[in-house]
Amino acid sequence: MDAMSSSAMLSEASSWSRALVKISPYTFSAVGIAISIGVSVLGAAWGIYITGSSLIGAAIKEPRITSKNLISVIFCEAVAIYGVIVAIILQTKLESVPQASIYAPESLRAGYAIFASGIIVGFANLVCGLCVGIIGSSCALSDAQNSTLFVKILVIEIFGSALGLFGVIVGIIMSAQASWPSKV
Amino acid sequence: MWAASLAILYGFNHNLLPGSTNLSPYSTTLVSGFLAVISVNIVIVFYIFMAMREPADKHVPDPKFLAEAKASMKQSTGESQQPNKPIKKQD
Repeated sequence: MDAMSSSAMLSEASSWSRALVKISPYTFSAVGIAISIGVSVLGAAWGIYITGSSLIGAAIKEPRITSKNLISVIFCEAVAIYGVIVAIILQTKLESVPQASIYAPESLRAGYAIFASGIIVGFANLVCGLCVGIIGSSCALSDAQNSTLFVKILVIEIFGSALGLFGVIVGIIMSAQASWPSKV
Repeated sequence: MWAASLAILYGFNHNLLPGSTNLSPYSTTLVSGFLAVISVNIVIVFYIFMAMREPADKHVPDPKFLAEAKASMKQSTGESQQPNKPIKKQD
């Protein structure tokens, strides 16, 4: 009875791991590319609407804040552009391999590298866009009250924007070594 | 804003830029990616520079809006003094 249940558990564990390994590396690559652009744009849009609504509201009373505080919107937009750049780089890394080597370790490694790169960039840009958006909203409101605060809050925004940059750097380095087996 | 970075990526991938033909795929990805990100940051710095240069006194709030806002503030402070009197009379 115990031997049967343990062997049943072993076969279940091996079937789960087999299922994961049998997912095509093309699937992983495609999902990575989709996440890199989709989730980055989600973060950028979230940041822009948080900042934009505060900026437009505060500009009713103090229109002078509009031109300087567009910098916050530009930082959020840059997050989306990072996602586009990495998605294009990952697309150029996609190659088709012969049927026989689709589950070769080299193919799996390339698929996982593209997937990981997409996830890294997507989620780093998501939180970066959110961070810059909330700080940009506070920046607009405090600039409307006291214009000397703007430059100090811009420093905080620059630190927040660097988070997305870290994700992009690691994602690009990760994707650079995604090489598929050669067609021989 | 994104045009420069996309142009750099396109140039590297289709060997349009001088010196881009001899790189391995690894180096091509790294160099094109980092140059594209740097170009985006250069454009951002340019926008920041232009924004900081704009004079702050160029924009003035709409005087009609300001007059209406002040009038509504005076009206609300005038109304808040009246409800106290009927309560005292009932005592």
